[in-house]
Amino acid sequence: MDTIVLSARGLTKTFGGFTAVDHISFSLKEGEVLGILGPNGAGKTTTLFMLLDLITPTSGDLTMFGMRYAQDREKILQRVNFASAYMDMVPRMTIMENLLIMAMLYQVKNPRQVIIVWAQSMGIESILGQEYQKLSAGQKTRAQMCKAFLSSPEILLLDEPTASLDPDISVTVREQIVAAKNRGVSVIITSHNMAEVEEICDRVLFINHGKIIAEDTPEGLAQKVRKARVQLMMTDGQKRTIAYAKRAGFPVTASGRFVTIDVDEDDIAYLLAGLADKGVQYGQITIDKPTLEDYFIAESRRNL
Amino acid sequence: MNLMRVWAIIVKFWFDTKRDMFRLFDVFWWPAFNLFVWGLLSTYLTQLSNGSVNFVLLFLAGTIFWSFFDRASRDISRSMVEELWNRNLPNIFSTPLTLTEYVAGVLIVAFIKLVIGSIFLFVLSRIFYGFEVSALGWPVIYLMAGLMMFGWSVSFLIQAFVLRYGHTVEVFIWAVTVLLQPFSCVFYPLSALPVWAQWVARAFPSMYLFEAMRAIIAGNSLPVGDIAWSFILNIVYLTGSIVFFYRTFRYAKINGLLTKTF
Repeated sequence: MDTIVLSARGLTKTFGGFTAVDHISFSLKEGEVLGILGPNGAGKTTTLFMLLDLITPTSGDLTMFGMRYAQDREKILQRVNFASAYMDMVPRMTIMENLLIMAMLYQVKNPRQVIIVWAQSMGIESILGQEYQKLSAGQKTRAQMCKAFLSSPEILLLDEPTASLDPDISVTVREQIVAAKNRGVSVIITSHNMAEVEEICDRVLFINHGKIIAEDTPEGLAQKVRKARVQLMMTDGQKRTIAYAKRAGFPVTASGRFVTIDVDEDDIAYLLAGLADKGVQYGQITIDKPTLEDYFIAESRRNL
Repeated sequence: MNLMRVWAIIVKFWFDTKRDMFRLFDVFWWPAFNLFVWGLLSTYLTQLSNGSVNFVLLFLAGTIFWSFFDRASRDISRSMVEELWNRNLPNIFSTPLTLTEYVAGVLIVAFIKLVIGSIFLFVLSRIFYGFEVSALGWPVIYLMAGLMMFGWSVSFLIQAFVLRYGHTVEVFIWAVTVLLQPFSCVFYPLSALPVWAQWVARAFPSMYLFEAMRAIIAGNSLPVGDIAWSFILNIVYLTGSIVFFYRTFRYAKINGLLTKTF
């Protein structure tokens, strides 16, 4: 049986008359990676801060490891850690000093060794002695990731962990997240990198205007977007193809020898059969299936 | 309370201080600068009065004790403001650290800084002006304890306002001692104030403590009533400001102010 390590029921946060998070309910299983997606201002970060007891919910019930912040704040936070690309450490202190303080706050045993191990895995071992204020944005993010891992958390909350990272370092961070998952760590991650979410998340919550709009696997969400994109490299009958697509009501664009038609997945066969009837010829066909990004864009536009 | 986490806050201050020369200025340079200015003035005034009044003792004691209050009133509030500046509050309060542990760490650091800064000023005033703090006797402990309590009350109050209203009220961290000094009667007796100001001054423990300081310097007995009243006020103010600070911290969490810089 899957162990539920986090359960949020009807979690709500209002600031004055503005509702940032509106009665959201979700749970997190042991060893699960849950993605929280949504446009800017959707309520993702507010939700993370409520999970960290940095913001007190207006209403709702939140339990972590079966405990509540009102009674067991220290016990919960001892088992949780957090990293954000938008958070800073003490600028004049070195990375090592900043991490040592964090390690002391989490009562990590052999903190220097633990820090060095995580710094190696994040590729910042050589700059541990540098002042935090002198680091690049990517190095700061990696220092934050070391901070998140050094207490061996059972729940890891990550707010856009790969923002401002080079692609190769992003891969390293994603590998560490997957490795954490394999060790049984439960992860909640917010990200604007849809490919990343598709790669590492078991489940995704899509939030907009503070509400959960959808909850599914990344593939499941992507399949909710029915539009596929058919691209044809025409050898004969380009005008007939465009005319046919327009008559059939499919959005169509042309560029050079290429014609691109947006079509429901179910209508692809119908489209291709129709084009065959018209006698058009194409030398190459590409069919792009809908992705999580398509879902994100579609939902974000729908809820503007 | 977890002592390891309190220790972490103390170590954090040490790490931060050793890389910032301006903090050393704060502990040593400005108080010393102040001491020299007042020391020179009081020496000159003592010469003018042909030694009939010992301005050195009066002004230097006032300067040293006021520096003590000045530091106490700033240290706690400045610590939290720096966490806000550094956008580090969410980092430290998303750990198991409790507010009480954080405050305990900050108070210990503030106390150590107060002791070091005071010893430095006592030594300087002895070397340059022959001012012996021991001449004031054991009541010095009452004076310093009272001023520290009042300074911390002010500091907790300002810290709460900074949490509540943000950077716009930061200026009070530095301005509050300037605002309180006229009513604290540091260099003159209560009777020198206008009547309305005397009523205001009576609300501040610092006024009673500086009146007591002058009484001791004048060779009179310790005004026990004044000292006792100042401590009653201090206990009320310190308790009130701590309660206010804790309530404001709770308010800040409810209103998302701890994470406002995001």
